Amino acid sequence: MANRLDRWADPPLLVLASLADEPKHGYAILRDVSETMGVRLTAGTLYAVIARLEAVGLIEPLASADRRRPYQITAAGRATLAEQSARMGRVASLAQARLGERYGWAGA
Amino acid sequence: MSGPLPAGPGPLTSLALMLYPPAWRERYGDEVRALLEEAGSGPVTVASLAVRAVPAWVNPPRHLHDRESRMRASVGTVLLAWAALTGVGAVFVQLTQLQGFRAPGHPLVQWCYLIFDAALAISVLTAVAGGMPLWLQMIGLARRERRPRELAWLWMAVLVPAGYLALALTALTVVHDPEASGSWWFAGFAVLGFAAAGLASAGPAVALKRLAPGGPAVAFATAAAGVAAAAVALAGLASAIAAAGLCLWTTSFAGYHHADLAGAYLLIVVAIAATGTVSAGRGVRATFAIPAR
Repeated sequence: MANRLDRWADPPLLVLASLADEPKHGYAILRDVSETMGVRLTAGTLYAVIARLEAVGLIEPLASADRRRPYQITAAGRATLAEQSARMGRVASLAQARLGERYGWAGA
Repeated sequence: MSGPLPAGPGPLTSLALMLYPPAWRERYGDEVRALLEEAGSGPVTVASLAVRAVPAWVNPPRHLHDRESRMRASVGTVLLAWAALTGVGAVFVQLTQLQGFRAPGHPLVQWCYLIFDAALAISVLTAVAGGMPLWLQMIGLARRERRPRELAWLWMAVLVPAGYLALALTALTVVHDPEASGSWWFAGFAVLGFAAAGLASAGPAVALKRLAPGGPAVAFATAAAGVAAAAVALAGLASAIAAAGLCLWTTSFAGYHHADLAGAYLLIVVAIAATGTVSAGRGVRATFAIPAR
């Protein structure tokens, strides 16, 4: 059931979060997002996101010897990720508090 | 974790990648192929790539083009769209206005014909005047750099239409009453005309991409492309309104009342005009943009 909500996930945020610890190339991003965040991105979605994030300067490509070009998050990307994750944190706290008050949900 | 290796990019994936703009493919194509060699690809991947090609055209990432390559891409796209829309409009006019059918009585349709003629004339003059300096610059560049293929592409803009006109005039001279010979003559001339227009506009567009000229001639041609695209879009709009008016108001020619024909014509005109004007808009925006550092 949870997977059905994958389509509502925010792919740019997932990619930024994936790049937050170290630079990665496309396949490594796909695997990381799938394994750590439980969302399966397609190649079309991933490269649409990479192109947009690169265009607005939130990530940047690194030099590469082969075709698998790695990307790293920029300072602007880190600031955006921090801002967005803080907002998501507030939404998550609010949702958990209301679920607890109304339905007695004790948390995952 | 050992298992069968994932299937690499197949022919369908390659086809899906071909749907992307050339600049996008140049920048990301190899990376996507490398990713698919590791991750494998299937129908979902192909569909995802194909669907994502649409926004890549509609709203291309700006970093894929520098200012001058954006202008060159716009000039090439507008040239192709302009040739296609002019051809479609000319066929429409030939079918409805010039073949002796009873002139449509409604003033709106008549006004649309007048607007079509004037807008098309403006677009032709603008395209020729705006494109000439760039064409001459490219001819000089191709000569200096001894690039016969690019010279051939450039001369196609002149030689192909001239050949088409010569062929048409010869045919009209030999066959004194082509209309009596049936609609095959018209269909043949129309198909040949589209092929000629396609080649004549594709030639300079290819040369533009290969020679990559720069300077004021490119900016001038881009501004002219913007005006020509706007004028030919107006001509297309006028012909579409005329087509709808003919469908609604004429009483004589049965073909006018086929709403599906008018609808198909409208769709084609809107699609080509939108492509041309959007690309022209991007080129004009790049023309007036402040160059990067």
